[in-house]
Amino acid sequence: MTLELDIRRRLGAFHYQATIQARHEIVVLFGHSGAGKSLTLQFAAGLMRPDSGRIAIDGVEVFDSARGVNVPPQLRGVGYVVQDLALFPHLTVEQNIAFGVPRAVDSQERVRQLASLLHLEGFERRKPATLSGGQQQRVALARALARDAHLLLLDEPFSALDDALRVDLRRELLRLREELGLTILFVTHDLREAHLLADRIAVFDEGSVLQFGPRDDVFRRPRSGRVARLVGFTNIWKGSVTAVNADRVDLDVAGLAIWARPPVAQLSRGDAVEVMIRAERVNLRREHADPAGTNLFPGRSVEHFAYGNTHQLRFEPEGAGPVVNVEIAARPYEVLGVADRAAWLIELPPEDLHVVPVQREP
Amino acid sequence: MADRTATVTVIFLGIAFAAFFLLPFGGLVDRAVREGNTWDIATSEFAIEALQLSLWTSTVTVVLALVFGTPAAYFLARAQFPGKSLVDGLIDLPIVLPPTVAGVALLTAFGRRGLLGEPIEEWFGFTFGFRTIAVIMAQLLVSAPFYVRAARSGFESVDFQLERVAYTLGASRVRTFFRIVVPQAWPALLAGIVLCWARAMGELGATLIFAGNFQGSTQTMPLAIISAFEGTALGLAGAVALSLILLVVALAVLTVFRLATSAAGRRL
Repeated sequence: MTLELDIRRRLGAFHYQATIQARHEIVVLFGHSGAGKSLTLQFAAGLMRPDSGRIAIDGVEVFDSARGVNVPPQLRGVGYVVQDLALFPHLTVEQNIAFGVPRAVDSQERVRQLASLLHLEGFERRKPATLSGGQQQRVALARALARDAHLLLLDEPFSALDDALRVDLRRELLRLREELGLTILFVTHDLREAHLLADRIAVFDEGSVLQFGPRDDVFRRPRSGRVARLVGFTNIWKGSVTAVNADRVDLDVAGLAIWARPPVAQLSRGDAVEVMIRAERVNLRREHADPAGTNLFPGRSVEHFAYGNTHQLRFEPEGAGPVVNVEIAARPYEVLGVADRAAWLIELPPEDLHVVPVQREP
Repeated sequence: MADRTATVTVIFLGIAFAAFFLLPFGGLVDRAVREGNTWDIATSEFAIEALQLSLWTSTVTVVLALVFGTPAAYFLARAQFPGKSLVDGLIDLPIVLPPTVAGVALLTAFGRRGLLGEPIEEWFGFTFGFRTIAVIMAQLLVSAPFYVRAARSGFESVDFQLERVAYTLGASRVRTFFRIVVPQAWPALLAGIVLCWARAMGELGATLIFAGNFQGSTQTMPLAIISAFEGTALGLAGAVALSLILLVVALAVLTVFRLATSAAGRRL
């Protein structure tokens, strides 16, 4: 099952534009609410009509503005699950699932298969309101799969559930993808969820896709500071290139000389760049292990937040250098005795530093 | 002390109000028993004819209100268009206006000198006046808005997301409407049907003006009561007997609908 989507739509002052492909994978649509993620699903499902562009499911065009094609949602054969699930409250679990089964198919048999696939046996005759949140979730998934849909559009389906249930259902979803060969567009604004589920990620902001690519590309090598902020980088500094070599790029950040592994983007001496590193990639050191060492500079802790499993600290440089946010897991935090002193050596590992040329905002 | 005075006042007001509602019905029953010939009048041809006419015209009115009003109510619940509040206001107009105005308005449209009535008479030689169809038209004009209003709010209470999901599951708009929307709006639709039917049964002013008062063709129960009271030798005794029939029928219908509504409510 493949999906190709390349569409535009104007909604008042809001301009939507996206190009996304998916093939036997989970593509996570990630971004703030109102960024255009849910709209993408509605376009794909045929519930909203783009102004122009093309959408093809398994090579078959379901929308093409140039040729005047617009297949109605009834004939697109995609499974669509919305945030509040939209289970039919007056129908039983069985009837909810059977609602989507085509007439030609033995619906009793199909319902039985889906109920067992989603561990809903024994609940067939219950009304949705009498089920737990996780069970309702499974009913919504079973119903969406009833037409043998291989393209699933999931709009923040787990956001109303508590953490433990979300973990279960994510695992379930990964299993279903394997067993049924599903292609899934998954909308979320939860970074951890996005990272766990995604094969590829499309980062949305203000109606456009800022970056679309394999998960690790997007999470480790965001194309711009804007994308970096959205995918959770908390250290993003302005800097400039002082020298470019085959195996290292020398940089100046707030008067501090550091170096990074060469980035994908082509850089040359004097370029204005954004230098970024995730907070959990920054190291804290007590001693000057190697005086000529790599990207080490002294800093003083000025802020501290304890999240239980992690600690987040903010360091101001003693001398030249940027302000650095550091995230450190609970155990090393205690073993190192981070709480006991304010002054530390901050290490920015060159392979974890990411450098992009400054983009002119349009 | 002040609290006690308030309690006593509330109780007194409640009893007085209840008495005001119950006494007239008590009087009706009392009078019917004392008159002696109530049963004869109630089973007379005059009464039976009026009751039959009332029952079947009001039923036809409800069916017409359902057929024409349901799509309109659904459209008003779902669509956004300029001038929607104006259309809303127009639908409510017959609810607010006295029925006699509705009767006069019907005359000016469908009467022999009316906007549409005159050409129709010229071309087809057909007039609406003094026919049963005029009774139904009068009832429809004043009572259908009650159904449309109730149905509209019923449809509005159904989550639109359910319909959109039903479309993606392959259900046509028609199937979605009957399998998803109607079952959930059913209590509101039932309430609208009761209101519409009751209003049609009680219709007097518009019928009197537009359809006239002819036994067997346009004389429904309310008109028969007026006629008995004012015109015939039966006088009050006739009016009492007819009113009692209407009361019994109305109570029976209301009870049935109450049971149906609460059953529908339980199913959801």
